Amino acid sequence: MADFLSALSQIFTLSTLIYMLAGSVAGIVAAAIPGFTVTMAIVLTLPLTFSMEPLQGIAVMLSVYVGGYTGGLISAALLGIPGTPSSVATTFDAFPMARNGEPGRALSLGVWASFFGTIISTIVLIVAAPPLAIFAVKLGPWEYFSLIVFALTIVASLVGDSVIRGLLAGLIGLALSTVGTDPIMGRPRFDFGIEMLQSGLPFLVVLIGIFAISQLVSEVEDVKSVRSGNSLVTGAIDFQTWKVMREVLMSPVNLLRSSMIGVLIGALPGAGGSIANLLAYDQAKRASKTPDEFGKGIPDGIVASESGNSATAGGGLIPMIGLGIPGSAVDAILMASLMVHGISVGPRLVMDHGDLVYGMFIAMAVASLMMLLVSVLSMRLFLRVAEVPKWLIVPAVMTCCVVGSFALNNRVTDLYLLGFIGVAGYMLRALKYSLAPLVLGVILGPIAETNLRRALMTDDDPTLFLSRPISLIFLIAAVFSIAWAVRGHLKSRKTKKNTDATAP
Amino acid sequence: MSESSSKTTLEAGEIARFLSYLAILAASVVLFVSAGTIPSSRFETLGAGAFPRFVYGAICLVAVIAIADGLRKISRNSWAHFGAETFAWAKRSRLVFVCLAAFAVYIVALPILGFSIASFIFVLSLQIILMPRRPVSILVAIVVALTFSFGLNWLFAEVFTVFLPRGVM
Repeated sequence: MADFLSALSQIFTLSTLIYMLAGSVAGIVAAAIPGFTVTMAIVLTLPLTFSMEPLQGIAVMLSVYVGGYTGGLISAALLGIPGTPSSVATTFDAFPMARNGEPGRALSLGVWASFFGTIISTIVLIVAAPPLAIFAVKLGPWEYFSLIVFALTIVASLVGDSVIRGLLAGLIGLALSTVGTDPIMGRPRFDFGIEMLQSGLPFLVVLIGIFAISQLVSEVEDVKSVRSGNSLVTGAIDFQTWKVMREVLMSPVNLLRSSMIGVLIGALPGAGGSIANLLAYDQAKRASKTPDEFGKGIPDGIVASESGNSATAGGGLIPMIGLGIPGSAVDAILMASLMVHGISVGPRLVMDHGDLVYGMFIAMAVASLMMLLVSVLSMRLFLRVAEVPKWLIVPAVMTCCVVGSFALNNRVTDLYLLGFIGVAGYMLRALKYSLAPLVLGVILGPIAETNLRRALMTDDDPTLFLSRPISLIFLIAAVFSIAWAVRGHLKSRKTKKNTDATAP
Repeated sequence: MSESSSKTTLEAGEIARFLSYLAILAASVVLFVSAGTIPSSRFETLGAGAFPRFVYGAICLVAVIAIADGLRKISRNSWAHFGAETFAWAKRSRLVFVCLAAFAVYIVALPILGFSIASFIFVLSLQIILMPRRPVSILVAIVVALTFSFGLNWLFAEVFTVFLPRGVM
């Protein structure tokens, strides 16, 4: 109790709250810029926290973290470009909803879902940190590979109009992930002697090229619409704060399921928000009575994606607090910030620095409240982006994409790659390939390969994938997932045929 | 658009997709063979080339299915209209090509001119190409171009200490 009160008194000081507010704003703004990830925002914040007290510093970084997961939603909803990899699935429904004349509602749904997702993950973090951390650390390469196989089955519900093109896109994503040195022995692969390719294709540059550049240039396809000064999104700039809050709370199953997926994925080292949003979206679509409405601007899609990605923030802290293992790059930076202050992060953290752990729990809750406050107060400003005409926004955002891609590694060659991927992305878009499976392939490819090879290096018996219980559960889930998706496709095809037959 | 011209456009799209399947198949076959030449280690069951071979093999399989499906969908007559339809599409999407060309020039010029100057020229010229022809738009375009070139450079250098390309000029 004394630790809790001490933490409370450290968080609720004016200076800490002001720093946290600034962190929240910085996180939201940074993540709204395509290519500028939550990780980059936290890296930039780290040096600023060196002079602060340990808890104050980590509270500020958590504010950036929580704000960042929400900021990605802004460009996802208004521009159709995921601000961060964790908001890829948000574009599927938030952008169509904004295009259908409800940009305010799309943003509001995302903000509330993020808020509740963070709160749910904080509650889980407080209650279940030790047992979940022990579970997560028991997973070996067999379980990880099976988990990724399960995650890859998400492709089945992201394929769009054509299963064949969706599968091809997913496989192209996996193929792109094999460029560069192999993850186990460091042998060069498919670099064709080009130095830029030797370290592999930077995932973020691929993401920006595939989604942002291709989306931006496709905005100018209609010459008349561009020249008449039309904006990207037209419609009511109404945030509908309380109405949307009730709307989000009216779908508690979706909210809880998506948040729990986020917590679990966040707790697994190496996974994170970039997978959680897609997995949560996929599960929401499968469980929905109207799966055909997904991708057309359904609120459930936005709620699933945003609560899923925001809940990884709390989930990621579980192995860090419980075992001293960072669940993601962001958690590693948070760990580093504590280590700078001479605090060793590990199983003894709870015992030695109870106030710090309680402080992190409180800071998460306060950060999510601040994110909500900042979002509600500033969204009207962000929504003005929707009114900016296409001819102004397309070149400006393209410049932001260049900055985001360059700032990642400070390499000009990444910009050439950006241009190439952008053209390829536009061609795939024009040929009606679904781009989401491609991104999923790029994310999951290295994790799948590493764990498959590591598992077989440890023991070359492939039956271990089936004989280890947790691995078997994931594989059975993958089989069910494919069967469910096939059933859904057959059903929708039948419905479409019947509709065509009854049409006059 | 009449029903017949819409059908012709759809079929042209199918042909374009069919050609994309062929290109993907050809590239995958080459890369599948190339993956086989990656040396493997005796310390591991699966070598560095095994996973890529699996992926490219799967791409080949799916591409063959896609080609068979495409052949079924495309009528013989539609090949005759393909050239004209492609030309019409390219004409309709001319601004897309202008955008991509301007972007290509921009990223090539960036290391030479530096971020601020290259971005200013890129943003302003692309805005002028895309904008409705009104005098007030020019003024807005100049302000936006300055913000997203010199302004962005200042922000990143001074606030985030991230230095964007300075150029050689």
